[in-house]
Amino acid sequence: MSVAAPPTHAAARAVAATKIYGSGDTAVRALDAINVTFEQGQFTAIMGPSGSGKSTLMHCMAGLDRVTEGQVLIGEIDLSTLSERDLTLLRRDNVGFVFQAFNLVPTLTAIENIMLPMDLAGSQGDTDWVDEVVSATGLADRLKHRPSELSGGQQQRVAVARALAGQPQVIFADEPTGNVDLNTGAEILGFMRNAVDEMGQTIVMVTHDAVAASYADRVVFLVDGKIVDELVDPTPERIRAHMNQLGA
Amino acid sequence: MLRLGIKSLLAHKVRFALTASTIVIGVAFVVASFVTADSLRSGFDQLAEDINTGTDYTVRGELPFGEITEAVAPAVSADLVDDIAAVDGVEIAKGGLFVNGVIPVDGNGEAVTTFGPPVAGTNWLEDESLSQFYLMEGRWPVGIGEFAIDITTFEDDGYDFELGGTYQVVTPTGPREFTLTGVAQFGFPENAGVGAIFSLFDTATAQEILGFPGEFTVISVRAEAGADIAELQTRIEAVLPDGVEVITAADSEEEFSDATETFIGPFQTILLVFAFIVLFVSTFIISNTFNIVLGQRVRELSLLRAVGATPGQVRMSVLTESAIIGAVASVAGLGLGMLGALGLKALLNFFGASLPDGPLPLVPRTVLWAVVVGVGFTVLASLVPAIKASRISPVAGLAEGTSSDEGASLGWPRLASGGVLLAIGLVATGLGLFGDFDGATPQLSTLGAGAAVTFVAVSVLSPLVSRAVVSLLARPLVWMMPISGRLARANAARNPRRTSATAVALTIGLALVTMVSIVGQSLKVSFGDRLANAFTADFIVTADTQAGLPKTLSSDIRAAGIGTPVGFDLDLVQIDIGDSQVETQLTAARVSDLEAVINIDVIEGSLDGFDPQTGLLIQSDVAADDNLGLGDTVELTFVSGDRATVSVAAIFDGNGFWSSWFIDSALYDQFATTAFDDVVMVQSAIDDPEAARAAIDDVLDSYPQAVLEDRQEFQESIESSLNTVLVLVNVFLGFALLIALIGIVSTLTLSVFERIREIGLLRAVGMTRRQMRRMIRWEAAAVSLYGAVVGVVLGAAFGMATSAAIPEDIIDTIAVPYLQLFIFLVISVGFGLIAALFPAFRASRMNVLDAIADE
Repeated sequence: MSVAAPPTHAAARAVAATKIYGSGDTAVRALDAINVTFEQGQFTAIMGPSGSGKSTLMHCMAGLDRVTEGQVLIGEIDLSTLSERDLTLLRRDNVGFVFQAFNLVPTLTAIENIMLPMDLAGSQGDTDWVDEVVSATGLADRLKHRPSELSGGQQQRVAVARALAGQPQVIFADEPTGNVDLNTGAEILGFMRNAVDEMGQTIVMVTHDAVAASYADRVVFLVDGKIVDELVDPTPERIRAHMNQLGA
Repeated sequence: MLRLGIKSLLAHKVRFALTASTIVIGVAFVVASFVTADSLRSGFDQLAEDINTGTDYTVRGELPFGEITEAVAPAVSADLVDDIAAVDGVEIAKGGLFVNGVIPVDGNGEAVTTFGPPVAGTNWLEDESLSQFYLMEGRWPVGIGEFAIDITTFEDDGYDFELGGTYQVVTPTGPREFTLTGVAQFGFPENAGVGAIFSLFDTATAQEILGFPGEFTVISVRAEAGADIAELQTRIEAVLPDGVEVITAADSEEEFSDATETFIGPFQTILLVFAFIVLFVSTFIISNTFNIVLGQRVRELSLLRAVGATPGQVRMSVLTESAIIGAVASVAGLGLGMLGALGLKALLNFFGASLPDGPLPLVPRTVLWAVVVGVGFTVLASLVPAIKASRISPVAGLAEGTSSDEGASLGWPRLASGGVLLAIGLVATGLGLFGDFDGATPQLSTLGAGAAVTFVAVSVLSPLVSRAVVSLLARPLVWMMPISGRLARANAARNPRRTSATAVALTIGLALVTMVSIVGQSLKVSFGDRLANAFTADFIVTADTQAGLPKTLSSDIRAAGIGTPVGFDLDLVQIDIGDSQVETQLTAARVSDLEAVINIDVIEGSLDGFDPQTGLLIQSDVAADDNLGLGDTVELTFVSGDRATVSVAAIFDGNGFWSSWFIDSALYDQFATTAFDDVVMVQSAIDDPEAARAAIDDVLDSYPQAVLEDRQEFQESIESSLNTVLVLVNVFLGFALLIALIGIVSTLTLSVFERIREIGLLRAVGMTRRQMRRMIRWEAAAVSLYGAVVGVVLGAAFGMATSAAIPEDIIDTIAVPYLQLFIFLVISVGFGLIAALFPAFRASRMNVLDAIADE
């Protein structure tokens, strides 16, 4: 347990996390004994070529999937010890999500979507905090609208707000700008950056877009299920250079 | 395109099975109806053939009017036997007696009775093949102190009979003691199950105790070998007096067949009506399933169009798919229907119907119907979805996302077409209820068609209101369970067309159930009121066998000095009024005592000084219709062929609870062909009800078939038999509800599949499996509550209209069983919860990652 960085600073970490799909000759090592720590209050991007295991890593870290060997911890909670139900409750209370698309429940209004995890928990949440998050989205006047009445960018901002609203330990975002145009992407990434800087949130984002990754504090490069490199205070140019080096 | 249809079916087995299962049930119902009826027919025909084996002719009294099933023909003189035997070509002729209402009492004092079949007394014949009674054990009874019984009763574990024992037998001439000497088999051993019960005596004893001295009810005749049956019939006829007929074995088999058909036919028709209700409901379910599935396959279909399939080919592929489903379902339905027929026969026997054993005949007509309705209804149901599918454009699949939440065509066209259909449906229903028809069949057909069109109209109009109504009905869910409830409510309301289509099956089922319960309740209340006002009698005696109560019963009560008993005997009579003739039911009773037991409101004339031999008492409406006034005379012809002239002595006002014609039993009993009353009413002379009951019970000890009730109990037992009928009807309507349940399961399963990403998202952000299941269960509950509310409202309207349409002498008060209707709604909520078990389970077990990744 003492291998990684001091626990007080880690929002989430993986210790020798291994994920194997299939068995015998056809077994595929999607994650190969990965050690990684995501510090509190940091914005981390995970990059890598297709099939490098970046999505698998995110799913395992977020409690959507389980590692085959090793450990994944959110705060001090070891996910491998949790039952399916406890894992669900952990996702609800300690993890936020932003997916590439289909982030919102179509039958719920924007504000209902934002409040969804807290409603599922039967809690009010921190009202001041929720107000702050909502005002940061800039969508205060569209809260009663349903997702189908919002633009793609607005929908993603609502999704980020939902992830933020419950003050989770860590937020995982899977290509959050993959489905929107450049300007909208920048708007969403700015909002996420702001959540880390102004609100002290922890975000882990999977992306293949160097520009998107450049919004992060740190970029982790994954190849063949292993962390091969990382970059602090990245710029798009440096990221592209690294990617080229990795032969991706 | 055929191959495509088959492939598509194989790819979606669960959906295919659910869709097919509704049609399987409908087809099975049709098949079971036919097969059960055919089985009864062949069983009874075989029985008729067996009974007539060894007998070439039957000689009997001829009914002057009416059918042999409606009345008991008069007996014939015993002297005829010799006259017939003397006819050249006749091998043997023997007189027989067959009298219903001869009841043996077993060693435990229990009367042997049946629900419907005769409990009869008869005489045995030396020539067993002529009488069809075969001695199985002991010896034939001889003289006034001995009898034999049929082997079925003897071997029945429920009864205690032993050879050599002495038992009471209640005969039309009163109860008597007999020693059991023998056990006989009726007909051939393989058809032991006619259900009739026989006590056998020697001929002289039978004539005496059954009340036919010097007479027979039937003479069985066998021709010599090689005789010309038709020619000999003419010669036998020649020796018969007027009012006696001779019929051949073939005639009597046919007559038997016709007689059994009078209940098998309606039985089959009623079952088929239920079968068509089930199929009708299934049509909505199937149509809905096709709509959803084709909606999900828009990409595939548009790709087909893009690569060159014509709209016609797309349409054909959908219709082919449905035809295959229909065909497979028909075959499965045939199998299930055969099982159903077995079950139905067992059920009928359980209710005491004692049906003959027999094979389950699967005739070509049944198979043809199974395939026609199976394929027909499925293809019919897929017609609209198929046309819609053929209109999918080749580029439809390229558009992002194929949302199924569109409430397409929710506007004016829907309102207009639905409104027109509704108007047609309601007019036809109204016509069916209140119109003038020549016979019941066209009337009920109009009514049925009207109801069907109304239901279709409701299904067309329902999407216009379903979102608002569902949201309103499901509002409590939001208070009960903040998030699951809110989502359940939103999901139930999100697709108005789907919600409506899912709910409509339940709507139809519950509308019918509600209608039946309102008509039933109105009947009960009307009847109860009428009963309460109709009698002044303290006690009512009825019989638990078809034959009724021996006329000696009322005279015994009178002799015991308990009070004033009046026996009522309803029988068929023909009345000549001027030049016209009416066949009607006439009641014979002791008119001078009538006012002691029933409330009879005499408005003209008087019962005082009513002449028992010439007096006639009639109901005012009949008097008006037939233009009869006090003192007018009419001529009555009784079933015995005897005639009597009577004149109107009094006219009463009343609601027809009694038959509209009364004469005195003193006149009637001279000509009656049976010695039984249908009911005996007693005005007690003893003040203490308990003591009065005990005194009557003493008399009834000799009449084990008698059931003694006070007014209250009588009313309750009539209500309870009405309830039994209502329960039976509801059991059959339950099949329509079962289809509705399958419909909800099927739609919900498809919806869950369609919303897989949404479900994945909810699970990812922390919805527990339990919350997920709850959300889906309550969505189903909200949809079924919606269907139920519409159904109950519609059914209440139908029920009240039907009650209003039923003549006032049957229903004069429309009663709504509010509590029962409320319970229907509660049950329907439970119904939805149950229907959602499987879809909810599937949704909660869905792999979150797969669900999110689903394209």
